[in-house]
Amino acid sequence: MRAARTLLFLLASVPLAALALAVLLTGWIVTSVLAITPLGVPALVGFRAGVGGVAWLDAELANRLLGTSASPTLRSPGPSGFWNSGLNVLRDPAFWRQQAYLLASLPLGFGGAVAAWSLLAASLGSLTLPVWYRWNAPELGSWDVDTLGRALLGVPVGILGLVILFGLLRLLDAMTRRVVTGALDGREGVAGPSRSERRRSLAVHAVATVAINLFLIVIWAVTSRGYFWPEWTLIALGLPLAIHAWVVLVEEHPEIARRQRISSGLATREGIALSFSIFFVLVWAVTGGGYFWPLWPILLFAVGFAIRIVSEYSRRGERISELETTRAGAVEQQESELERIERDLHDGAQARLVALGMSLGMAEQKLATDPVAAQELLAEARQGTREALEELRSLARGIHPPVLTDRGLAAAIEALATRTPVEVDVSVKLPQRPPRAVETAAYFVAAEGLANAGKHANAGHVDIGVRADGGNLVVEVVDDGSGGADPAGNGLRGLAQRVEALDGTLAVDSPVGGPTTIRAVMPCEW
Amino acid sequence: MRVVIAEDLALLRDGLTRLLRDNGFEVVAAVGDGDALVTSVLLERPDVAIVDIRLPPTFRDEGVRAALTLRDRSPDTGVLIVSQYIEQAYASELLADGRGGLGYLLKDRIMDVDDFVAAVRRVGEGGTALDPEVVAQLLSKRKPLDVLSARELEVLGLMAEGRSNAAIAGRLVLTVGAVEKHVASILAKLRLPPSSEDHRRVLAVLAYLREA
Repeated sequence: MRAARTLLFLLASVPLAALALAVLLTGWIVTSVLAITPLGVPALVGFRAGVGGVAWLDAELANRLLGTSASPTLRSPGPSGFWNSGLNVLRDPAFWRQQAYLLASLPLGFGGAVAAWSLLAASLGSLTLPVWYRWNAPELGSWDVDTLGRALLGVPVGILGLVILFGLLRLLDAMTRRVVTGALDGREGVAGPSRSERRRSLAVHAVATVAINLFLIVIWAVTSRGYFWPEWTLIALGLPLAIHAWVVLVEEHPEIARRQRISSGLATREGIALSFSIFFVLVWAVTGGGYFWPLWPILLFAVGFAIRIVSEYSRRGERISELETTRAGAVEQQESELERIERDLHDGAQARLVALGMSLGMAEQKLATDPVAAQELLAEARQGTREALEELRSLARGIHPPVLTDRGLAAAIEALATRTPVEVDVSVKLPQRPPRAVETAAYFVAAEGLANAGKHANAGHVDIGVRADGGNLVVEVVDDGSGGADPAGNGLRGLAQRVEALDGTLAVDSPVGGPTTIRAVMPCEW
Repeated sequence: MRVVIAEDLALLRDGLTRLLRDNGFEVVAAVGDGDALVTSVLLERPDVAIVDIRLPPTFRDEGVRAALTLRDRSPDTGVLIVSQYIEQAYASELLADGRGGLGYLLKDRIMDVDDFVAAVRRVGEGGTALDPEVVAQLLSKRKPLDVLSARELEVLGLMAEGRSNAAIAGRLVLTVGAVEKHVASILAKLRLPPSSEDHRRVLAVLAYLREA
């Protein structure tokens, strides 16, 4: 039964693979022709959906017949925006994996189907040889199968063939299931693709491209050997491979873009434009040269590049002034923070230690003459020590709470919540620990929000939520208090400076009468 | 009673050693980091190990991790964590196995020498010693305690710290009989099994408080 399903799958995958190749070739040709205009972006997004669709058909077939449970994605996740939607597709390892699978499924599926079905036919023929040898005696070399005795020899051969066929089908079944699950299942974590995943998808893509080109060249070699038509697939499939490799290279080695003093987005785009230029030149070359029409798209690319460079430089100017402002804010915040710590130490622990020393000195004086009074002074000194420790502890926690380093945001905010009289609901949902600076800032947003809710707003309930949102970390503190928090007040202004220094934003919404929402959004590489 | 101390600051390590020796303990080793602590405990098998949380090399939670290792590899050794700060997260991790012979105190408490010495002794004997701050946080988390009277809450708090009936009586200026009556009433109201043994009762109370 299982073997029959595998045979069916192999049979059905041949036309599907042909369809896939057609989609891939037309998709890349249409996208590349449109790439010189902004229409290239929607074309690419549509093409991505087409690839996803064929992959979905393939996966569905495998799910039904082989019992896999793959569900390929049709869209590429990532930041929104017109240009981004194109870049998202190119950066999506699932897209490349699907293409690689479709490319590879033509030679592999075709080979598997031919092998399995011919083996089946040959085995059945051999097995039934004693029945039909009478009418059409086959010749094996110089050996005529024309007696029953000789024909009966076909039975064990047929059985052997069937056994081999079953083994082959099992192997193909297991292989296909693994490949389908590995290449087509699109469930990526919130964290997005990892480095190794990106590299793996590139390697698979390269292998698939090489495999299908070899396959077509072999077909060319054993058939006509006339016009070398595989050059078209070489060029057409080489273009996506070049683009894919470039996208992965820029993502993995940001220093390439940095060395050229351009952003990685621009570097990606220009690499793609260069790939297309080479593609056009190759097309021009294989169509026999003549009028050098690729000049026009290349010229267009160059103009686009110039425009982008100019806009990037002007944006960079804006960015520099923004950085100057936030850096000044960060320095100011640091200054005032240090000042506050110095003041707290001076008025608190230091003063207590002085008083402690005085008590001890007096106790020493009185030890001989008035032991009862000395004992009282000693008890006082001990109490003073305890208070000094208490103050130092809360000061240290205000600088950097140890549990934050040791156990992360969730534990640290929970600890904050237990120390507050207000009822607090904490929800921290992060794929992994954010970088230290972001984590600390997020903690202080929660701490300041809680302090505000307790001190000024008379809140009864506070919700603290920390979550990942695309490439950002979002902290939200909502209280049901009386509102009216002043964003220009000392605490909130310092907090805003802290968040802005990390390229984040802090929004305070606190109408009189409440409720108050404090929301910090900070970029965060996961 | 034999004690091993793990504390990286020499000033505090020596002070603690002196204080314990003066109070009749035998300090068999005083070390400066978590690995040395585990080694010397496995070698000496003391009754109790007194452990600071922040130890070299990373100065983060080595003490807690070393303590958890000790609970596993030397179950008969009581572990008393002393630290500059109390964190509920650590308390939960330490209490997770529901066994006695465990303490978690602020270093401030060392100043109340008699109380501290009693706590070390209790942990060494398989009892518990939790800082009032840990207990307060446990009590604040566990909501349905309204069934208890104010006095019973007080008794419950002291019980959760690990104190015996006699100690609770001394603290609240009550007779031991009165404390026993309160304890019986608390256990009945919280539907906990009555137990004559102090340590076991404390563990039941802690287990109750922790299941929030």
